[in-house]
Amino acid sequence: MCGVASSIALAALAMAATGAPPPTVDSVVSDYIAARGGLAKIRSLQTLRQKGHAFAGPGREAVVVRELKRPGKVRFEFTHQGITGVYVTDGTKGWQVAPFHGDASVHPMSEDAVADAMEQADIEGPLIDWKAKGHVVELAGRETIGGHDAFKLKVTLKSGGTRFDYIDAKTHYEVRTEMTREIGGRPVRMETSFADHRMTNGILFPRTIEVAAAGRPNPLRIVVDSIELNPTISDERFKRPAGLD
Amino acid sequence: MRTLAALVVLIPTLAAADQVFLKDAGSVEGRIVEQTATSVKVDVGGGIVGFPMDRVDRIVKGRCALDDYEDRASKLGPKDLAGWKKLGRWAADQGLSAQAKHAYKQVLKVDPNDADANAAMGLVQLDGKWVTEEESYRARGYVQYDGEWMTPAEAQIAQTREANDRARRDAEQRARDAEAATREAESRAKEAEARAKEAESRQYNYPMYWGGWGYGVSTWPAGPAGGKR
Repeated sequence: MCGVASSIALAALAMAATGAPPPTVDSVVSDYIAARGGLAKIRSLQTLRQKGHAFAGPGREAVVVRELKRPGKVRFEFTHQGITGVYVTDGTKGWQVAPFHGDASVHPMSEDAVADAMEQADIEGPLIDWKAKGHVVELAGRETIGGHDAFKLKVTLKSGGTRFDYIDAKTHYEVRTEMTREIGGRPVRMETSFADHRMTNGILFPRTIEVAAAGRPNPLRIVVDSIELNPTISDERFKRPAGLD
Repeated sequence: MRTLAALVVLIPTLAAADQVFLKDAGSVEGRIVEQTATSVKVDVGGGIVGFPMDRVDRIVKGRCALDDYEDRASKLGPKDLAGWKKLGRWAADQGLSAQAKHAYKQVLKVDPNDADANAAMGLVQLDGKWVTEEESYRARGYVQYDGEWMTPAEAQIAQTREANDRARRDAEQRARDAEAATREAESRAKEAEARAKEAESRQYNYPMYWGGWGYGVSTWPAGPAGGKR
């Protein structure tokens, strides 16, 4: 806590010395939104489809497709060796068909996966309209991420979960997210790094995402090959099969 | 010609390339090798998967990536390093890891030190040598705990947490046993079953942590794709 307070104080002093106003949560988020393409553009995003490849180590590569639709719908497809597994949440619950082992039946998704899905269900990310969404965002200091100065934002989600978002102080791009997940009965701290940011029809997206779990040697890397803004995605794509309640 | 012959063994030549759409979600793309009124079996290139017909929504006949792979491979000579590399990359892009490995194997026959091919075969470079991931992890000081590679410090934390959890569970179990001694035998049987399942689930199978982009797949699928042909 002391560390956080002192880094904020130092940042304030540094800004005072240069005459610029000290950064606040609102100014950091505002710059971040502007860098992403602006609030109007982001709010205009109703559906999103991203296609890419996931690399989980040498010789392990899969085709991935992620579809999001307001409000709170996510569909994730993972294709490996011609078999496509589907993982869907409708905003409240999740279900999956993962026929990799010949099991074609529909199953409820694990709690861990649902937790992952729920965080992704916010198509624009938690920092956009965070007050209206009931989240709490605090400026928790500055850190060096990949050799660059970044603002560290502590985001306490309305759901109760906590994550840290790092916003590059110069580009205002989101460069990292940290969160802790309960996996296999153990808390695992995960760092998700974002790189190769590019504009797609006026909205900024990272094209390379790397997820590293604390203490694990092999990060998961996702390379996004294509992004479609507001494609037609039927609600049927997210419809929960009958009998799964 | 020899290459083509090898491929015929690797991928049985079938009349059609099909996509089997499952009810509610998911699909399997490959070649149907058997279809009855009650089930369908599909060769996906790395193995055969079967589904009961009551789970199948529809079947679409069409050309699949396996056909393309076979066509392209048949046109390559055994020494065509660039061609096999390009085909290996293409197969990997299609998610056809078994075919990618087949192509990269041809590359390694020409150039045993090719970086892309070695990586595709699951090897990593350590001090100038190509070694397995496991060997590289050990050399870099990682340890395997509960089926996962991690730093010794992480393993220690996990071990301590598990010991505490086990102690707590044991204490709770003893209390329950005291309250219901007559149910002890049944309780132990359930515990043994749970341990067996836990041990089974601890087999190392490459955990995946998505952390905010993608979800659902918690371990790298080792089904037909990782199976034997």
